Amino acid sequence: MIKIFNKNEKQELTAKLRKQFGIKEIPGIIIMRGKERIFLFSGDFKGRDIRKLEKLTFIERLGVYFAKMDERDKTIRLSIEGTQILKDQIKENIFELSDDLVEKWMKGQELNIKTGKKGFLIMKYKNDFLGTGKASEEKITNFIPKNRRLRERN
Amino acid sequence: MKKSYEPKPLFVERMNELLGKDSKIYWEKIQEKELKSIRVNTLKISPKELKERLEKKSWIIKQPFKDHPEVFIIENNLEPGEIGRALEHLLGYYYVQEIASMLPVIALKPEKNELILDLCAAPGSKTSQLAAKMENTGTIIANDLKLGRMKILASNLERCGVSNTIITKQDGIGLCRRLKRASLKDANGKETLVPYQFDKILIDAPCSGEGTIRSTPKTLLMWNVKKIKSLSRLQKGLLAYAIEVLKPGGEIVYSTCTHAPEENEEVVDSILKDYKDMRIEKIFIPIKTTPGIKKWRDKEYLEDIKFACRVYPHISNTEGFFIAKLKKIK
Repeated sequence: MIKIFNKNEKQELTAKLRKQFGIKEIPGIIIMRGKERIFLFSGDFKGRDIRKLEKLTFIERLGVYFAKMDERDKTIRLSIEGTQILKDQIKENIFELSDDLVEKWMKGQELNIKTGKKGFLIMKYKNDFLGTGKASEEKITNFIPKNRRLRERN
Repeated sequence: MKKSYEPKPLFVERMNELLGKDSKIYWEKIQEKELKSIRVNTLKISPKELKERLEKKSWIIKQPFKDHPEVFIIENNLEPGEIGRALEHLLGYYYVQEIASMLPVIALKPEKNELILDLCAAPGSKTSQLAAKMENTGTIIANDLKLGRMKILASNLERCGVSNTIITKQDGIGLCRRLKRASLKDANGKETLVPYQFDKILIDAPCSGEGTIRSTPKTLLMWNVKKIKSLSRLQKGLLAYAIEVLKPGGEIVYSTCTHAPEENEEVVDSILKDYKDMRIEKIFIPIKTTPGIKKWRDKEYLEDIKFACRVYPHISNTEGFFIAKLKKIK
């Protein structure tokens, strides 16, 4: 079942993203599948059109995977595309990767670094937005999906 | 190194008959290495910016078409797998796509805010191209049937940041039938028929893949003439049902990556004969093509079939393709 966020739910999500990263506005319709995965749809179908289509056929995917809700503390982890779509609005909790670290990050490795922060950080290398990591005291946990990781040369 | 396969005698016979005196250069050309091409994903990066980045990695980039700067040919020899492994690819800045495969979308000319049906969408090269041209506005319904292909489609659209698309899983004919029967309930619960009416439809139909043998020699192993006949029936069905959900004035591009006339001219010809409100249009694409053929063995096609385009490896140095554009007359 597709859950389309109403105005209040979208405002609530925006408020969380504002608190975490300084994001003020999310463009488009927000859709949730399951309890965690959040999608962003920028097309001009409205909720009513989506429901009409859903009655006719199985909708496999709607819009782009954009973020995940952390079940435990209800904070938001943006996907690679989520960080790229909102890059102009992201103002806080950005971690700038060095030349050495970007390769490690894109290989899916956790970074053993003390950032002095706790919680989700937007990972950035020069002008590239590379998703979100989770900082704890000693490290940044990596969430780059397997199919988006840099692979070693054969 | 790709494994090579011997073409079956019947395939050789058909190609020789189709190409006549050109067949010799065709057989030579398909032995050559294919061009390496990519399409810049303008949803994420501009052609200029990506070109600069890739040139810093010592890639030699050529932009063959002035009006389509997003099309890049990589001219130097890279290590095997390097194009797919690059950071820019992982971040969705480009899509590895053969030039001929970019042509159906160029022919369809998608515009911002349109409602478009991509009936056989996987693996998503053309869907992501449509979305880029539409700047993620309007709506695309991208359909495919098989679960495995669907996953690849979803993954490619995600990597490219495509956000204006709804992916549906249904056989193409079944989907069109359902879209035609769509209805809405009003406040009093009364149901009114509100069929979908698409501005544009892309049917990149399942086909025998004869045009891909340079990049996928295994196609030769799987080729058989019976398959061509059954595919032709399916293709006619897809096109006929798609017409039912095309709005008056709307356009359909029908394409295949095969040379078999039964899957190309015969399909378009049968539609033009059955649907008097459909007309074939001239296509403007940036490579050299040959017109649709008017006769194949015992079958003669309509004169206007010449407006369809045949793309051959020995003429354009790309994969083989067939593209026809049809318009529903108002």
